[in-house]
Amino acid sequence: MTGLTADIRSTFTADGAEPFTVDAAIEVESDETCVVLGPSGSGKTLLLETVAGFHEHAGVVMTNGTDITERPPEKRGFGFVFQDYALFPHMTVRENVEYGTRYRESSRDADELLSELGVAHLAERNPPTLSGGEKQRVALARALAIRPSVMLLDEPLAALDVPTRQALRDDLADVLADVTAVHVTHNRTTARAIADRIVVMQDGQVVQRGTPEDVFERPQSPMVARFTGSNVIDLSAAHTLRRVLDDDTGSQARFDGSGRSPFDHDGEADDIGTDAADHVAIRPEAIRLDDADGDLSATVERVVREDATNRVTLAFDDVTVEAFASSPPVVGTETSLTFPRDRVHRC
Amino acid sequence: MATGTERRLEISAVGRTPLVIAFVVVQALAFTAAYSVGQPTWYAYFIVGSTAVTAYALDGTSFTVATATAGSLLMVALGLPLFMFVARQTPSLVVEKALNPDVHRVLYLGVYGPLLAALLSLLCGVPLAHLLAKGFSGQPLVESLVDLPLVVPHSVAGIIVLFGFGEGGAFPQFSVLGTMIGMVLAMAFVSAPYAVNASREAFEAIDERLEYASRVHGANKWETFRRVTGPLAVRGMITGGVLAWARAVSEFGAVAVVAYSVTFFYPFAGEEVTTKHAPVFVYNTYLQGGLEESGAVAFLLLAVSAAIFLVVRYLTDDGTAGGMP
Repeated sequence: MTGLTADIRSTFTADGAEPFTVDAAIEVESDETCVVLGPSGSGKTLLLETVAGFHEHAGVVMTNGTDITERPPEKRGFGFVFQDYALFPHMTVRENVEYGTRYRESSRDADELLSELGVAHLAERNPPTLSGGEKQRVALARALAIRPSVMLLDEPLAALDVPTRQALRDDLADVLADVTAVHVTHNRTTARAIADRIVVMQDGQVVQRGTPEDVFERPQSPMVARFTGSNVIDLSAAHTLRRVLDDDTGSQARFDGSGRSPFDHDGEADDIGTDAADHVAIRPEAIRLDDADGDLSATVERVVREDATNRVTLAFDDVTVEAFASSPPVVGTETSLTFPRDRVHRC
Repeated sequence: MATGTERRLEISAVGRTPLVIAFVVVQALAFTAAYSVGQPTWYAYFIVGSTAVTAYALDGTSFTVATATAGSLLMVALGLPLFMFVARQTPSLVVEKALNPDVHRVLYLGVYGPLLAALLSLLCGVPLAHLLAKGFSGQPLVESLVDLPLVVPHSVAGIIVLFGFGEGGAFPQFSVLGTMIGMVLAMAFVSAPYAVNASREAFEAIDERLEYASRVHGANKWETFRRVTGPLAVRGMITGGVLAWARAVSEFGAVAVVAYSVTFFYPFAGEEVTTKHAPVFVYNTYLQGGLEESGAVAFLLLAVSAAIFLVVRYLTDDGTAGGMP
C-alpha cells in the first residue's frame, strides 16, 4: 500500500535570488524509507518542506490514499526531523518530546522513547546544553512521539561528526524500520545504508528513481553516476577502453555514439540519446588492479589511505579513474586494469 | 618588555568586575575633587585622559585608544552635565519637594501615564511586529509609518494627534484635549516605534524552523505563538515595553500640546486630582520658580525613572549581557 504520494510543482522566490522551480513526484510504500538524494541546491529540502505543508504549491499530496493537499501542517500527521534539530530551547528535553502529544489522540510515552534512543538521562536538561548527536536523538524522539503517519527527515545526520553520524544512522535504520519515511540527504553513504528506494534530484527535477541497487549500479546519467560515486568515463577520450569494450562485443558501432551498447540497462538506451552514449559508468570497487590479463595499462597517479583500503587514482589515455586496492601500488608505476563487463554501464 | 598579549593577560588576571568598580571609584573621586575645588573643567579633561590610558592598558592598540578617546568626548557631553546636575542639588529643597503632595501626584502620573502608553503600544505593537518580521506586501509603507514618529517634531506629533482624534477627528465621542486618553494617545504616538521595533527584532531572531517544528507536530498558529514564538520573543517585548515607557516618561512636546494638564483618579488620595505630566510640570516650575526649584523636581523624577528602569532590567536580565571579552 502506498504510504505517501506527493507530486509537487512550485516556483520559489527568495530575496535576491533567482526563482527556483521544483517539479518532482515521489511515491513511498507503507513502512518504506525513501531517500531523496541530491547535491546542495537541488531542491530536495524545498520538496520536503512543501510535502510538510510549509509552502504553497500546485500539485497533490496524499497519505494512505487520502488527499491532504489543502491541510495545514498541523493536520497532516507528519513527524519532521530537521538538520539543525529545531529543538525548543526554552523547554526541557522531555517537554520537547511531549510537545506534539497533546494534539494527537494516540501518542508514545516520552520517557520510553528517550530510553529507546539512549538519551533518557537527559530528560530534564535543556537543548542548548546537549551535543549534536544528543539533540538529534531528542528531535527524533519528538517526531516519533506523535506516532506520525509519515516521518520526514531533512539531512538529520549532516551536522554530526563521523562517529556520531554512523551510530545515529544505525539507530535511524532501526527506528524507521516500520515507519513510512522520506529522508533527504546529499550523503550517498547514508542513502545506500538506509534507503528502500532512492529518488535523485537535480535542479528541482527528479533525474532517476529506483532501488539503491538501480541507482548506484546503473546510473542513468553522468550526473547521477558521479554523485553516487561511480567513475564516469568519456569514451571519446578513452579510446583504449572503447576498443577493448567494442572488441569484446565484436561490434565497432556500439560505443561510437550510435545509441546502443551491450551494457544497456533495462534496454532503455533509446531514451538516453546519442550524446550520452559516449559515457560509461563503473563503480571504483568494481575495477580490478593487477590482473594478469587486464584490459589495459594505466599509470598510478595518487594513492590515498581510506580505513581498511586504498583509493587509487589511475590515468590512461586522456582520462582518470578511481579504484580501490587492498595493498597500495607505487605512484608513477604502471598497472593493469580490468573492467568487469557486467559492471560497466552506459549513462 | 611585556608584549601587548602579555599586558592584556596581566589585566584580565585582575578580573573585569573589580576593574570596572575601580574605574568608577576613580572617576567619582576625580569628579568630587574637581568639583570641590570649583574646577569641573578639569574633570572633563580627566575623563578623556583616563579613558585613553585605560584603553591603552587593556588593549594597547592605537585603534582602540583612538576610538575610546573619541567616545569619551561624547561621555563628557552626556555624563558631565548629569554629574553636575546631581552635585548641584540642594538637599533641603529636594527633601521639601519629595514631601510635597503635589509632587507625589506628578511623579505618580509620570509613571502611570507612560505605563498605560507602553501597554497600549505593546498590545497593538506586538502583533504588528510579528507581521513585520514575517513580511508582507506593502511592508515598506507600514515600516515608514511606524518609524514616522521618530523623525516628527514632538509638538507636531501632538498637533497630529489632535487633528486625528481631537475635535472634528475620527472619534468625536472621545475627548482627547486635556484628558488622560489624550495624554496616553500622545505618549503612545511617540513611543510605539520602540515597542514595535524591539519586538520585531526579537521575532526576527527566532529560527523559522522552530515554528515549522511546532506546526508540523500538531500546534496551529495560535498555539505556536503561545508556546514557542511568544516565549522566545518575550525578552524583546519587555525591552520594547521598557523603551516605550521610558520614551513616554520623557515626552514633553506632544503631551504639552494634547494634555497640558489632566484629571485622573489618584488612589493615594482616593479621589480625582488634576496635575501635569512630569516634564511639563518641570518646565512649568522652571518658568515660574527658576532653575533650582525645577531641578529638585527633575532630580526626583530622574531618581524614580532610574529606579524603575534598573528594577526592570534586573528582573529581565538573563545574565547574557556582556562587555569586552
